[in-house]
Amino acid sequence: MADHTHSSTKRALSMASAGASVAGSYIGYLLQRAFLGKERGEARLRSTHVRAARRMRDEMQSLRGPAMKLGQTLSLQTGTLPDEFVAELATLQMEAPGMHPSLVRAQFKSSMGREPEEIFKKFSPEPFAAASLGQVHHATTREGEMVAVKIQYPGIRQAIENDFNLFRTVSKPAQASGHISKAAIDELEQQIVAETDYEREADNIEFFARKLAPLSFVKVPRVFRRYSSNRVLTMSLMTGEHLDSLLTHRTPRKLRDLLGTNLFELFYYQLLKVGALHVDPHWGNYLFTRDGSIALVDFGCVKYFQPETLNYLHRVFLYRGSCESADFRRILEESHRAAGQELLPGARRALIRFSKTFYRQVYPPRPDEQREPFDFGAVEFLQEYLREAKNVFRTKGIMPDLIFLGRAEMGLYQTLHRLRARVPTSRIVKKYLRS
Amino acid sequence: MSALIYFHERTHESELARMVAKKKTTTKAKKPRRPKPEGGGRRAQNKEAIRKRIVSAALSLFQTNGFDATTTKAIARKAKIAEGTVFNYFKSKEDIAHYFFEEEVDHAIAQIRDNPRLKKAPLEEKLFALVHSQLEFLTPHERFIGAAFIHALRPASPLGIFSHRAQALRHRYIGFVQELFEESLPKQNSLTWLAPDVFWIFYLGVLLYWQNDPSPGKQNTLAFLDRSLNIGVSLLKQGKR
Repeated sequence: MADHTHSSTKRALSMASAGASVAGSYIGYLLQRAFLGKERGEARLRSTHVRAARRMRDEMQSLRGPAMKLGQTLSLQTGTLPDEFVAELATLQMEAPGMHPSLVRAQFKSSMGREPEEIFKKFSPEPFAAASLGQVHHATTREGEMVAVKIQYPGIRQAIENDFNLFRTVSKPAQASGHISKAAIDELEQQIVAETDYEREADNIEFFARKLAPLSFVKVPRVFRRYSSNRVLTMSLMTGEHLDSLLTHRTPRKLRDLLGTNLFELFYYQLLKVGALHVDPHWGNYLFTRDGSIALVDFGCVKYFQPETLNYLHRVFLYRGSCESADFRRILEESHRAAGQELLPGARRALIRFSKTFYRQVYPPRPDEQREPFDFGAVEFLQEYLREAKNVFRTKGIMPDLIFLGRAEMGLYQTLHRLRARVPTSRIVKKYLRS
Repeated sequence: MSALIYFHERTHESELARMVAKKKTTTKAKKPRRPKPEGGGRRAQNKEAIRKRIVSAALSLFQTNGFDATTTKAIARKAKIAEGTVFNYFKSKEDIAHYFFEEEVDHAIAQIRDNPRLKKAPLEEKLFALVHSQLEFLTPHERFIGAAFIHALRPASPLGIFSHRAQALRHRYIGFVQELFEESLPKQNSLTWLAPDVFWIFYLGVLLYWQNDPSPGKQNTLAFLDRSLNIGVSLLKQGKR
């Protein structure tokens, strides 16, 4: 117990020291700005951003676990954070500090009961990819199949619980002001803790492999149950390029549009047909190929929606009438009531405004009237989305069941924006709406 | 394990013994009173097999019945030999326990030295591998280790901290840790001389943590060991002058 306390204190101190250091960078900048011209002042601000962002990234990496998850989530927030921050935080997705081979071996053996070499024909002690809660190694099974073995960092569950205890304490003012609700923190914790159970993730993979079979452009790995446990997950090896690598080459517009359209279709197929969504949207979880296929490589964070929530989505998506009509208001109120939540007037206004200013623009209610595919290349739509989403959060207009949908949606838009893809949004959504 | 059992205040005498022990470990780890296999002859092999049987029987009884409740008679019965034969190999059950802890340290040192990949590994990984191999060795005898801890704290305990044999083993272990520090840290590091002793105390802490760790597969011990070694080595590296 004392050790756990010690461990959480250490993590708290580490977070606090990161915060102090970041604050220190900015105080230093403010002092210097008084003596610098405008141009030099801006250059200094940029370098301050970079320094602060690096410091924050390093601390989040060393803490691993939920702090890294938070960093990843922040990296998807183009428009709210300085670009220098986004660039640094984006590296969190692929560059968590690895476990050294001796720790990998110890962790593998503690979970599987045997050394990796006793189970696999070949096992690479060096990881080829980092996940936020673990790292991934190449291996070959005794039958000669190439596989990816995901191994969880030890003690991560305990670390998550400690971090959330801490987060609950430090976010008390935000909870009191209504910016963060307890239900939202509970939902967040439940989802992130669920990610530490690799047996559950194996179930998710098999579920999605079945459900996504009709989408020929989607590839889902195969689970090797006999080489897996709750802390080790062995899957078939998926091939493809990460978004960053894809975008370093000149990617033809046609391919960008195709990948964007497929990604968009995958999202709405999951949401409206399957009723469950892969809600960890950062681009490290997708592998793209040049024929437009998308391989999904991480199923830790999956949200299975309640029937009432799905019903709500089917009713509000592409709503044809006016967003200010009594009928639309009634749909909002009924749906929130069905989810056990009273819709406050402020929240109702925020939701109506969100529908009117953002969704109407990105998803015209009549697909046949959408002459041009929506162009995700412009940054304004993202800024608008963030502004309106924040407003809905602040007025407590979001159902807890939809918190992760918001995060996934942001990830989708962010990826589409980076692809600068043009997508026939409403046509795709309409395909999967209940008639 | 051994840790608490052999721990004592640093003295000039122990410093001297450490230097002697260090010299020994740089060549090949040799213990003070270990039987030498005599050219692999059948007689020697038989003797070694009986010794192993006695140790295995004793550990099994220490684990199930507890250290205090186990008699040499019971050990002989379990090993299917006469009680007198036990005394041909070990003076007492405490002697068997000492032998086991010597085996543990030898095993851990060999694990590090016989792994060519670890030669170039960073210090934190070498130290992790050392402690982890000790813990793995101790895992089947966890209950006995807990009892031995308590036993070692008794002033008159034959397993206690002031026996020459116990000190010699501790010195050999610390000497080996010193070697690891020296091959990984710059010579002028002002903390290298102190670090092995601090590591010994740290090891005690890890052992206590491990004993009380209820997490599946002792997950939290691995995390604790990994993170604290990272912090410790990073502090050491900052201490260079």
